[in-house]
Amino acid sequence: MTFLRALKAVAVLVVLLILQLELFASIRFFGVMPEMMLGAAVASGWHGGPTDGAILGFASGFLVDLYLASPLGLSALTYALIGYLLGIISELIAEDVERIVRTVISLVGIVLGLVTFVLFGELIAEPNLYNKNFGKILVVGGLYTGLFIPVLHFLMEWVFHQGNYRNNQISMTRVQRN
Amino acid sequence: MAVPQRSSGSRFTLAILLLTSVTLISLDARGYEPLANLRKATTAIIQPFRNIASTVFDPIADAWESLSEGDSLEKENALLREQLSELLEYRVTTEGAVEELAALRTQLDLENLGGQKTIVAEITARSVSNFDPYIIEIGKGTQSGIREGMAVVSVGGLIGRIEDPGLRSSRVRLITDPNVNVGVLAVGTNEIGILNGGGVGQPLKVSDGIPVSTDVEIGSIMVTSGSERSPYPGGFAVGTILEIIVDEINLEKELVVAPTGQLENLEFVTVILYQPTASDSGGDR
Repeated sequence: MTFLRALKAVAVLVVLLILQLELFASIRFFGVMPEMMLGAAVASGWHGGPTDGAILGFASGFLVDLYLASPLGLSALTYALIGYLLGIISELIAEDVERIVRTVISLVGIVLGLVTFVLFGELIAEPNLYNKNFGKILVVGGLYTGLFIPVLHFLMEWVFHQGNYRNNQISMTRVQRN
Repeated sequence: MAVPQRSSGSRFTLAILLLTSVTLISLDARGYEPLANLRKATTAIIQPFRNIASTVFDPIADAWESLSEGDSLEKENALLREQLSELLEYRVTTEGAVEELAALRTQLDLENLGGQKTIVAEITARSVSNFDPYIIEIGKGTQSGIREGMAVVSVGGLIGRIEDPGLRSSRVRLITDPNVNVGVLAVGTNEIGILNGGGVGQPLKVSDGIPVSTDVEIGSIMVTSGSERSPYPGGFAVGTILEIIVDEINLEKELVVAPTGQLENLEFVTVILYQPTASDSGGDR
């Protein structure tokens, strides 16, 4: 990751974090807020590949960990894995993929991230994470975050954009990886 | 479809990141001081940006709240009006209760609430996690004398305790959290029970410590015990008994308790600047 990309990535993550803390924490559907930072990890994996996806996933998880009562590093661990996984998936499928396919895969990535977060939390004896609202959080949280997937992809495309690729209305292109 | 060859570099990077995460979790669980300082420093750097964003987004959040909670506010208003009329009727018969309570407090040797130093703090954020709704954030921290474990009250009584205070902000763990334990006793008794949260919007429960022979009644007020191991000063109202369930096997009474402290639509809370002595703070009671 070049210095410029890192700078762009930090700017995007901090903006998303502030939006999550100050805006989306108050705008909830059925008591559930969107997981913007997890969405950022998913989108970074898609556009940056496994390595950059894992790094940005870790960074976004670490940032959100600073404000959670759960142990520092738990979100970082989960988001790094999800970023890496999405990076691998994005390598396996065609680059000019339909927008809807990309959205569905991202949505699955977000739900998987939520499940993994709770699973790891339970494994390290964090008893608050799994509760009776878990199903609601998965469904509502996943769909609510899903609304922002196009924006998150747009932002991560900007972070990883190299100038030699252009996207159009139908297809999406990813950055050529070395 | 050609499957691209993944370099071992990405796996190595992932391994390093996972190892770092696990190390962070482990250090945080042990209360490693430099990590706590890192957390405080980073949040302090981001705080000015949050303040600006808060100014911009607060009206949007307020508008959303009034839209989404309009119905529930109407219901709450109707309920409050009903309760008010009941209370006005009840007042006539309970005028002597204040004197009685004062006498009972003296009898139980509870500390004088007025003797505790307090500080009022504005609520700056609700829970920022979907999985842990039992947290609120206040705009005062260690700079204002707030320390870990201090009791937080709102109109009506105890609502939580300080957790992980920063320089200028702190988190408050609400008593509705099922993992929070508070040592309580019913006014007029000496038996200390352990009160637990029941979850969001659910009543509290005292499921341990009240023998079946203890004379408690529906409507009795539960207060913090102020026992030796308690981090809370004694005598703070916590809740009112809604239901008494007799556990015939353990010969104990299980109490269902409605919190007296206002937990919803809060703007400000009061932190009791009380710290138990080192020997007293051994348990979360």
